[in-house]
Amino acid sequence: MPKHYRLPGKKKEGNAAKYMTRSQAVKYLQVSLSVFRQLCIHKGVFPREPKKKVKGNHHTYYHIKDILFLKHEPLLETLREIRVHEKKVKKAESKKNRNLAERLERHKPDYSLDRLVKERYPTFVDALRDLDDCLSMVHLFAALPAVEREHIEVDRIHKCRRLSHEWQAYISRTHKLRKTFISVKGIYYQAEVQGQIVTWLTPHALQQVLPSDVDYKIMLTFLKFYETQLELVNYKLYQSINVKYPPILDPRLEALAADLYGLTRYLDASARASLVESIDVRPSGSDQNEEQQEGTKLEEPELRLAQLQHNLSSSEPGSLMRLVDDVREEDEDDEETKECRNFFKGMKFFLSREVPRESLLFVIPAFGGMISWEGEGAPFPESDSSITHQIVDRPTQKRMFLSREYVQPQWIYDCINFRVILPTDEYLVGRVAPPHLSPFVDNEEEGHVPEYAETIKRLQAAARKEVLPLPGAGEDDLGDPQNLQGIIDRAEEIEAAEKKRKMAILQKQYLDELKMELESCQYHDHSDTSKLKDAEGPDAEDSLPNLKQIAEDAENMSKVLISRKKRKLLEAMEIGKDRKKAHIKLLKERKKKIDEAEKSG
Amino acid sequence: MLTNRLTMKTPKNKKQHKEEGPENINGTLRIIEQQLDQAADKYEDSSSDYDFEAVENEDVVSSDDGNDDDTRNNSKMDGGGSDDSREIIEESDSSEDEVAPRNTVGSVPLEWYKDEEHIGYNLAGKKIKKKERQNKLDSFLASADDSKSWRKIYDEYNDEEVELTKGDTKLIRRLLEGKAPHADFDPYQPYVEFFAWDDSKHPLSNAPEPKRRFIPSKWESKKVLELVRAFRMGRIKFDDKPKEESNLYDVWADDSSLAERQGLAHIPAPKFKLPGHEESFNPSGEYIPSQEEINALQLIPEEDRPKFIAQRFKSYRSVPAFDKAVSERFGRCLDLYLCPRARKKRINIDPETLKPKLPSRKDLKPYPTTCYLEYKGHKGPVISVTAESTGQWIASGSNDGSVRVWEVETGRCLRVWDIGEPVQQVVWNPLPELPLLAIAAGQDVFILKTGLESEEEQKKIEELLRIETPTAPDDSDKNASFITWGLDEKHGGIRLKHFKTVSSLEWHRKGDYLSTLMPHGESRSVLIHQLSKKLTQRIPYKLRGLPVSSAFHPNRSIFFISTKKDVRVFDLLKQKLLKKLEPGVREVSSIGIHPGGDNVIVGSKDGKLCWFDMDLSSHPYKVLKPHKKDISKVSFHHSYPLFSSCSDDCTAYVFHGKVYSDLNQNPLIVPLEILRGHASADGRGVLDCKFHPRQPWLFTAGADSVIRLYCH
Repeated sequence: MPKHYRLPGKKKEGNAAKYMTRSQAVKYLQVSLSVFRQLCIHKGVFPREPKKKVKGNHHTYYHIKDILFLKHEPLLETLREIRVHEKKVKKAESKKNRNLAERLERHKPDYSLDRLVKERYPTFVDALRDLDDCLSMVHLFAALPAVEREHIEVDRIHKCRRLSHEWQAYISRTHKLRKTFISVKGIYYQAEVQGQIVTWLTPHALQQVLPSDVDYKIMLTFLKFYETQLELVNYKLYQSINVKYPPILDPRLEALAADLYGLTRYLDASARASLVESIDVRPSGSDQNEEQQEGTKLEEPELRLAQLQHNLSSSEPGSLMRLVDDVREEDEDDEETKECRNFFKGMKFFLSREVPRESLLFVIPAFGGMISWEGEGAPFPESDSSITHQIVDRPTQKRMFLSREYVQPQWIYDCINFRVILPTDEYLVGRVAPPHLSPFVDNEEEGHVPEYAETIKRLQAAARKEVLPLPGAGEDDLGDPQNLQGIIDRAEEIEAAEKKRKMAILQKQYLDELKMELESCQYHDHSDTSKLKDAEGPDAEDSLPNLKQIAEDAENMSKVLISRKKRKLLEAMEIGKDRKKAHIKLLKERKKKIDEAEKSG
Repeated sequence: MLTNRLTMKTPKNKKQHKEEGPENINGTLRIIEQQLDQAADKYEDSSSDYDFEAVENEDVVSSDDGNDDDTRNNSKMDGGGSDDSREIIEESDSSEDEVAPRNTVGSVPLEWYKDEEHIGYNLAGKKIKKKERQNKLDSFLASADDSKSWRKIYDEYNDEEVELTKGDTKLIRRLLEGKAPHADFDPYQPYVEFFAWDDSKHPLSNAPEPKRRFIPSKWESKKVLELVRAFRMGRIKFDDKPKEESNLYDVWADDSSLAERQGLAHIPAPKFKLPGHEESFNPSGEYIPSQEEINALQLIPEEDRPKFIAQRFKSYRSVPAFDKAVSERFGRCLDLYLCPRARKKRINIDPETLKPKLPSRKDLKPYPTTCYLEYKGHKGPVISVTAESTGQWIASGSNDGSVRVWEVETGRCLRVWDIGEPVQQVVWNPLPELPLLAIAAGQDVFILKTGLESEEEQKKIEELLRIETPTAPDDSDKNASFITWGLDEKHGGIRLKHFKTVSSLEWHRKGDYLSTLMPHGESRSVLIHQLSKKLTQRIPYKLRGLPVSSAFHPNRSIFFISTKKDVRVFDLLKQKLLKKLEPGVREVSSIGIHPGGDNVIVGSKDGKLCWFDMDLSSHPYKVLKPHKKDISKVSFHHSYPLFSSCSDDCTAYVFHGKVYSDLNQNPLIVPLEILRGHASADGRGVLDCKFHPRQPWLFTAGADSVIRLYCH
């Protein structure tokens, strides 16, 4: 209860006064549980874990301030109004007043959540930080069928599709995509937007299963917030690259379900157009009238753009405008974005019919490649001789062009993840592709490095060396002071390395000697015992395991003095470590088995 | 029509009946009532019951005649006249009767006749045979050839093909369109009033026309007004869909750094876990479990089973839709709004930092490290071992009833006594000039001379051990009644007979007093014997619980008794309880007193070792847990800062335990060495440990009947 109203006998402070259970909260807010749920979801209020659970362990506890926060939310009133409205409709229906019911249905009170988005994410970066769930949800719904029974409406699905495509188009256009991973669950993408790492999961582009044990109302409530959030984020992002939002798509492409491609083209075109305009405006800045005219023109660019973009982009991809545009943007970008932009530069990809088009349409342009596909609306046909790679996902390819390579789609994803153009021979049509590794795993930390990761590392190193100047080549230009400096440095380095090596040799010698000593000691022991002819024989034999024992003893002894709390912590840590070790051991054993099977087979 | 006709008739009827009598009037009235309610044929039936005059009931009669005709005709038809039947058809106005149904089975399911040869019976009651079925191909061909086949219908009921006429098709078409079947039927004929109100003499209601019929409705006008107002105010709109204006704007336009989240401190939801290699559609071979491993997973309870099992797909194209995609996202949604969130501090430290920093063991030398000698000879577990104060000899007592004296440096067994009963404890007298050995075995305590003394000392000892009146109880001493001092002829010493089993012995530092402990002696469980006067005293303090071990303070007249729960410290001079130490362990097994006297160690049966600083508190300064099993004995070294504990897990620990004279400085405790070597016997390991009085050496007595000497 809030402070001003406290029932007699209620607590003033402590956990009993700070927290209330969910049913108490529902009663206090005078709403139904479903409305409370909606409120919580929209406001981002979650239960908390009080130190002392006054009402028992099986309750969900909310902080009193959270509940008050909900109480003062105007949305609460709107939700009540909706409930009242629903009652009106129901009444009209039961009185067979069809007209009234219909009219009421049309004018149902609605609410928008933009204010709540701002409230929950006061800065834009906050919103980006919390975008993972939002994107995953929107992408999931973009792939779901519309089901009347579950109130999944077609409009919502279309909106989700539109939003997800807009987001992808932005990422692709600004080359912010960093990592991709095809998993059994779907495709994971990771992008870096304004310094925030955003990861999302898109389901495979197939018919999705709608399980019956899922409460779609909850998901739709979440979706409502997420839609608003993503829309606002998209707006801001599009604004940042000077593109009008919401974008107007070429209806032809939209009809062909190539929305994403349409969007990218729109982005290209409008960015270019804005550049043209800005160039136009600058010289005419002195003339007030002309500027005004430009302004009026700006108001109706939508129609013009839709027509213009088609001509522009289809004419020649490497046109002058694009170059100018790219140069200007490159100054602003960081190293990684530059690398991503130029990763597939100069490569032309063609997708075969059976390849999942949507994902590749997103990924390849994000890394600077040109792309086309089999079907209508494609930018260039299969017979184009400048195509360098054709992406094929079938066991055999009958008709082949010699000028291009036929690779499996996994090749693209692997190349992107490891930022190196991998040799295509292992990914050719009909081959068993090498394992697809997760880019999100730190192999060293995990303890087990898959074989293919090592191969890739070698390739990466090789790729880097090619770019670096060879050390032997710099010898003839000694005159250059910078080079001289470099050489001096190098000489020093060599010296240091020599020293290190010597040290290492010495150390090794020392170790060897130690070992020798130990062995001789054992030998002595042995001789002593043999002389004594006593029953101490087994004692001498024990000396080898004794070393292990000593180590163990040292460990135990340090544990003797630890307080109980710390000892328990230590033990827990050890259990965790052991589990990890066991997992790695299992992996290594399996690997060994596989290798053996390969050798014998 | 019928009711109309009847009402028209009623006045006439009434007239007639008036003349006839009241009975008839009543009857006709009843009839009229019935007529109003019932159907026409019923009226006719009922009317036939009454005797009406022929003139009045002409219509009725004529219709009756018709009925008679019908029946007559029917009887004729039985004879087989087809002409009559046509007449009937012409008379009836229902279209169904136009063609008489050949089949008379009625509307029964035709499948009843599926297996029969006939399809039913004709009017004469003869079976109607089924026609031969044309096979489908033929019928199809026939229908293809026949241009009129589209208007042929098979009548299942009569088993015949009917060809629809043009009229029929027209009719059907009209029916399908929802119009009246006959084109000439006009559903909107002008209404012909059959009854006029105005001129009737006796209208049904004679009430004047109400006012509301003439003036416009007030409520209607109110409603209209309300609607009009609603239109004007815009409450009711007739544009079909409310306009979807996009209210998009830059929410974060004033993205100042001051903007902060309202409300309580927000705990952001943890991000979902990123996938590992095993989630790949084409994982590396080692991530895919073998079939056996998958089968083994079935044995694990479902909630512990891993949620995801790696799988390999040949190509990207063959990856199916993930069936739990929606469920997993739903689970995430539930977590987001239902899961209580709390900030948990994740401890990210190196486990090594948890371990205390100990001073180097090298600096704390010397301490016993390696086994130097083994003393073998006992037949049973060696229960007690004790070192002579010069450090030349040790004595040991065993379960087999023997007590042996050994030379420390050579391991030679000097002497053996056979006591006969399992020896509980052996203790050397702490005085070097009195090399006496006190032995506790069963209910007896023996004080024996060892023969290690010089000749001068021998006399003194003999004097000491002489008892004038061997068995005579001293009346003046009340304690003497339960302890008897006697000579032991067999071994040549004194024998103290107790009334209960003696579990432990302890010499006072001056070598004159000896304390014994009988756990079941109740109020007389702890006794102090004086050797010079041959006297026995009872410690007059109350104890709670069984006494386990006792000890004299090394330099003051203070006595320690440990029960199973706590340690009580008594002042012997002032005769009062000084302190109660509470180790808080399960069961105390032994205590040891630091030679300084201010620190006590307590070993317990749950393997814990408590170090008490008596000046500090009655609670342990430090609790160590070196052993996994019961600690059997703990002991201090007399001169070196060492202490040790031995336990049933066959190990003995040596600790460094330095006590500083500066009261501000806490004692330094460092574990130094784990001594192994004893074997386990009957679940018991090392039973006793004693330090050498001068050297940093440790004697351990094991249940494997071996005594070991560990040297530095």
